[in-house]
Amino acid sequence: MKNIVQLELIRESLVAVVNEMRANIIHSSYAAIIYEGHDFSCALMSADGRQIAQGLADHPIHIFAVPYSTRKVVEVFGEDIHEGDLFLHNDPYTGGTHLNDVLLLQPIFYDDKLSMFAAMRCHWNDVGGMTPGSLSGRVKEIYQEGIRIAPTKISQRGTLNEGMVELLFNNMRGREERLGDFNAMLGTGRKAEEHIGRLFNRFGGQSLLDGIEELIFRSEKLMRSKIKSCPDGEYFAEGYCESDGSNPEPLIVKLKLMLKGDSITADFSGTSKQTNGPTNCGPAMAFNAVGTIVKAFLDPYTPINHGSFNPITVNAPEGSFINAREPAPCGGMAEVKFLIDSVVASAMGQIVPEMAVGDLKGGANHVHIAGPRLNGSTYIHYEWPAGGTGASKGIDGGNAVRSYNEGDFNSIQSVETVEKQYPLRVEACEIREGSCGDGEYRGGFGLRRDIRILNQSAMLSVLSEKNVIPPYGVFGGGNGAANRFIVLRKGKTTLPSDVPGKVSGFQLLKDDVVREETAGGGGYGDPLDRATELVHLDVKHEYLNKNQAEKRYGVIFNETGSVNQDATIHKRSKIKEQRVILKIQMDNNQIHDGARRVFLINRENAKMLGVSEGGLIEIIGVSCAPLRGWIKFDENAEYIVVGTDGGSLLNLVNGDLVEIRPVVSLPETVG
Amino acid sequence: MCHCQKPWGRVLPKEYLVGIDVGGTFTDILCLEVNSQKLLEAKVPSLPGRQWEGVLNALIELGINAEEISAFVHGTTIATNALLEKKGAKTALITTKGFRDTLEIGRTRRLTGGLFDIKFVRPSPLVERNLRIEVPERTSAYGTILNEIEDYDFVKLGSLLERSGVESVAVCFVNSYANAQNEKKAVSSLKKELELPVCYSAGIVPEQGEFHRFSSCVLNAYLTPVVRKYLSTLKIELQGRGVDSPVNIMGSNGGAMTLEQAGDFAVGTFLSGPVGGVGGAVRVCEMTDVKDSITFDMGGTSTDVALIHNRRPRISYDNQIDAFPLQVPQLDIHTIGAGGGSIAWVQEDGTLEVGPHSAGALPGPACYGRGGIQPTISDANLILGRLPIKRKLSGGLELNKGASEAAFAQLSKKLQGADITSLADGVLRIAVAKMAGAVREVSVHRGFDPRDFALLGFGGAGPMHVFLVAEELAVPTVIVPRYPGHLSAMGQLLADQRQDMVLSWGGRLENLSGGDLLSRIEVMEKESEALLSGNGFALDRQRHEFSVDMRYTGQSFTLAVPIEKKKMTWDSLRRGFGERHEQTFGHQDSSNECEIVNLRLVSRGLVDKPVLTFSEKNDKNPIIESRKIWFDGAWVECSILDRELMAAESTFVGPAIIEEAGGTTVVPPKWKVSVHLSGTLFCENPFKKI
Repeated sequence: MKNIVQLELIRESLVAVVNEMRANIIHSSYAAIIYEGHDFSCALMSADGRQIAQGLADHPIHIFAVPYSTRKVVEVFGEDIHEGDLFLHNDPYTGGTHLNDVLLLQPIFYDDKLSMFAAMRCHWNDVGGMTPGSLSGRVKEIYQEGIRIAPTKISQRGTLNEGMVELLFNNMRGREERLGDFNAMLGTGRKAEEHIGRLFNRFGGQSLLDGIEELIFRSEKLMRSKIKSCPDGEYFAEGYCESDGSNPEPLIVKLKLMLKGDSITADFSGTSKQTNGPTNCGPAMAFNAVGTIVKAFLDPYTPINHGSFNPITVNAPEGSFINAREPAPCGGMAEVKFLIDSVVASAMGQIVPEMAVGDLKGGANHVHIAGPRLNGSTYIHYEWPAGGTGASKGIDGGNAVRSYNEGDFNSIQSVETVEKQYPLRVEACEIREGSCGDGEYRGGFGLRRDIRILNQSAMLSVLSEKNVIPPYGVFGGGNGAANRFIVLRKGKTTLPSDVPGKVSGFQLLKDDVVREETAGGGGYGDPLDRATELVHLDVKHEYLNKNQAEKRYGVIFNETGSVNQDATIHKRSKIKEQRVILKIQMDNNQIHDGARRVFLINRENAKMLGVSEGGLIEIIGVSCAPLRGWIKFDENAEYIVVGTDGGSLLNLVNGDLVEIRPVVSLPETVG
Repeated sequence: MCHCQKPWGRVLPKEYLVGIDVGGTFTDILCLEVNSQKLLEAKVPSLPGRQWEGVLNALIELGINAEEISAFVHGTTIATNALLEKKGAKTALITTKGFRDTLEIGRTRRLTGGLFDIKFVRPSPLVERNLRIEVPERTSAYGTILNEIEDYDFVKLGSLLERSGVESVAVCFVNSYANAQNEKKAVSSLKKELELPVCYSAGIVPEQGEFHRFSSCVLNAYLTPVVRKYLSTLKIELQGRGVDSPVNIMGSNGGAMTLEQAGDFAVGTFLSGPVGGVGGAVRVCEMTDVKDSITFDMGGTSTDVALIHNRRPRISYDNQIDAFPLQVPQLDIHTIGAGGGSIAWVQEDGTLEVGPHSAGALPGPACYGRGGIQPTISDANLILGRLPIKRKLSGGLELNKGASEAAFAQLSKKLQGADITSLADGVLRIAVAKMAGAVREVSVHRGFDPRDFALLGFGGAGPMHVFLVAEELAVPTVIVPRYPGHLSAMGQLLADQRQDMVLSWGGRLENLSGGDLLSRIEVMEKESEALLSGNGFALDRQRHEFSVDMRYTGQSFTLAVPIEKKKMTWDSLRRGFGERHEQTFGHQDSSNECEIVNLRLVSRGLVDKPVLTFSEKNDKNPIIESRKIWFDGAWVECSILDRELMAAESTFVGPAIIEEAGGTTVVPPKWKVSVHLSGTLFCENPFKKI
């Protein structure tokens, strides 16, 4: 009995330490991205690098990678870890995320023995490199993204390595701000150490450590029982990264998720090779993604620790873009991580259909606007606007909000703060109407933000995914609108890059308006099954206009504004009749063009779809996400041919009839 | 403004101060006869939807002469309830073109839970999207009007709002904190068209940050009609009963406000209930010469804690109600869902958890015998012998120990048949850990060490748990005031009037002029003086205190640094800020320049506070019974004392249980207790600091 109570007390206490670390970082950091954006996370790690505790606002993308970094520190320094030592790390290839996310590890001792690490990972606004803010869509090598810190002892037995500190901060823009943030991390580490010291006294050192092991054991046991309750089997899913920044060819993530008994293996064989653009990530990210999504689908509500990960094995091929090697740039790691998330969610939705969820807005959507102030100094404005979240059974997606796979932090700055700090004027920040993925439950809406340049010039950099290949819907739900980043110059749309979503140092002029439009979330279920009252409400609230309601949901309104039920029934059956239905044929000869899956289709069918050659279409199966590919004309094509892997994703057999439809990256323009 | 008031501080032959605290279950009334120091108290059921009727019933129950009431202060939950039940007004938002969705997008945060939760749904804004109406206007970040609002057709807008059945309007423009001219013009134009309450964002929170300012203003608009209706009904009914004293409402900032002020600032009454307890605690500190304390106010469903430093409760400017930011000054009260009714349960991974679900007042804990079958904190206390089974509690409730045991037996089954006594003890310890967490939140998270404070336990269940929380945090002293169940009402009836003002002004210290600062605070002081004078406070009954919100250039969070008009220099300000920064965050940075962001003024109209002596020296034997109580793993024989009979300046050592109407104090073994003249118990923690 005593133990079960003690266990809960220990859990509460550990989360309290993390929450206090968070409060401390927020209150004492210098960069808006940390104190306002909350782009940082804290956690406690065991001495061998397993995760012990995190808070509800801490971002999995930061935290689930920390075990890698910690293990690397332990591997490199071994016995040479002492009280007063501090370690810095940001190297993606050994467990970092991208170079901007700098990790500080504070070892904590009990009875002269290393017993824990307090971990803080904060996004530093600039870590050097070729563009202000360090993140750019057009880099070729990691060296252009800033300074890379392999596990480094920045403090030795309480003495800061001043030379190293100088070296670091001499290679970053905004030295004062960097130093301020670094100091905030140091102060937080000290507070955490003190706090944990009190816990050792209170519970007894060994009892505390034993309690932690027990909590990890219980999480593992629970996760294993959840996995065991799912049917054994192999589930296939895939997804595309649309461009590495310079090359318009997409990259593919392929996943075979294998459930056997009480464990899960995720095999990413077949995933594209690493590229020389920023859309790569290190070895921590695939595991990170599988851990995040499996937790969300199977055990969302109990507090997280390393036990939940123990039943999971991940194979991410070395040298692929999800497990890249030097010198592949990794600035777009968030874009890649979120892509892996969405591929894993597509597989998990086949296993646990009641949790299946429309795809999310893509990655981080990094936007940097930088330029000269009137006094000659340089400003950097950084934001990463959220989009709509995916719908799931019974629930519409959320509008312009953090998704379930993200910690809870701001991603756009207050308009009034932006205008006070930078020579910019935000002219609109609003819901992007019509951008949802349609469905019986529709995805959330993205946002639109217009920022006017007030000084003579500025530069725009964007690093974003899902600008061409939009978020998918599930169980027949439509895709959300794609992300879009454009410049309005004298009122006319100007494309800041020939590769959508990847912009590097585009020259902005006075009075240009940077327009950010973020993706809508994917829908759930057939839009024609959506309750007409809900469509009515969306029209009343001006999220959709009447034309969109008619074309996309088949809902017709009377002149009084009420729903015309008869006309609606008629319209809906007419829309159904016009859908393109083909017979499926499973074949191992699925055609590929590079990473692209290619469907052969005759001109007549293509015309009905309204898609020209090379256009993107999707096949709606009976199991979660659609199968996507590009079309190629073939007059003899009667069936739609997919590989056995594709058939497995769709859960179909030879001869089944399937709906084929175009992927419309701007659904708001329909109707 | 009310013109029919008696001046504060005048002493009448027989003079009652009345405090009325409306809770979810009961309406508490406490009445102090100033000259004889007699306290009268009554408890009547609250009437949901008709709070004012409960107030009148309480007054009748007490049977005092209405004309002898010299002050009437009221803590109400009307605003909180209206928000939680979403029963506020149909509200329209008039905003700058391009920003109708500010409330919905916010800063893209969820602001409540949601990590790993695919089924998460963010609470909807309080204004429906079709009632968020954009107008062409714009002000720059530096207060320049870029786009005047003169030509806008408010006649058309007015009729649209009328047609839509709107009941209240919020006008929220971008950058209005820097210049509210357009907001004010829109308000006056709208008022010509509409007979509705119209408020504007800079009038509620004249500070930078559109989301927080808009959210606060919309909350105010949403609540105004409900609060005004309640207050006017209350006023009419009280006058009908012959109460002609000023009626005041407790504000979230811990001071009283007039009915008119409350009607114009509905959003300032969210904490109207809980602040009374904090005010009462300050009075207790004054009477007993304690400077720093942390309040621990535990009731049936929740526990409120707040930090009092130098006899001043801390104020927080960055608050959140539900998922809605609220940036008006409130006492920094942290509430957690752990109270006597919190339910113990087994989580999916087989670990034990307590709360946040509560059995509430109905069915209540199993031991209430009203159909509750879940094991609660109160049941745990009963099993451990800490609550009486023979005597009835106030309110006439007799506890059923068998029901508590049955509930814990069920829980025990899910935990491999743990012994129910140690299970009850464990449940209590987990609850205590959570409550200790709340205390850490208001202390450690704000840069204070709880060991430097006394813990002040009150509320129905506070004195029963406060010692355990003190042991958990190594707090050296526990204080239990007399009448712990009525401390909130006591705080209300002795509350000063209070007014908070803020001016968004500042910049880097090196660029500021001291004369400029002084002239600005003079203007603020004059305005505040006039208001308090209008409410009947002579100049010598007014106190005005200034502080500045400061930060290092580059930071976002600010710390309040008090200033004295006459003595202030930039250097003293720099130093004061540096020290405050070090205390809060563990470091200061003397090489960095700091800046002022806001000027704040807190003005108080002082009311007389009698010295209360609720205890006298006597030689009565306070021990009424002895029974076995579970402490630290064993049953211990323990004296039960009647608090009415306890002599001033007497001392004793725990374990002991002290019973009185409305509260039971559980003193664990070895604690040393002494009784102060005010009836307050001073209790010394026998365990060393950790």
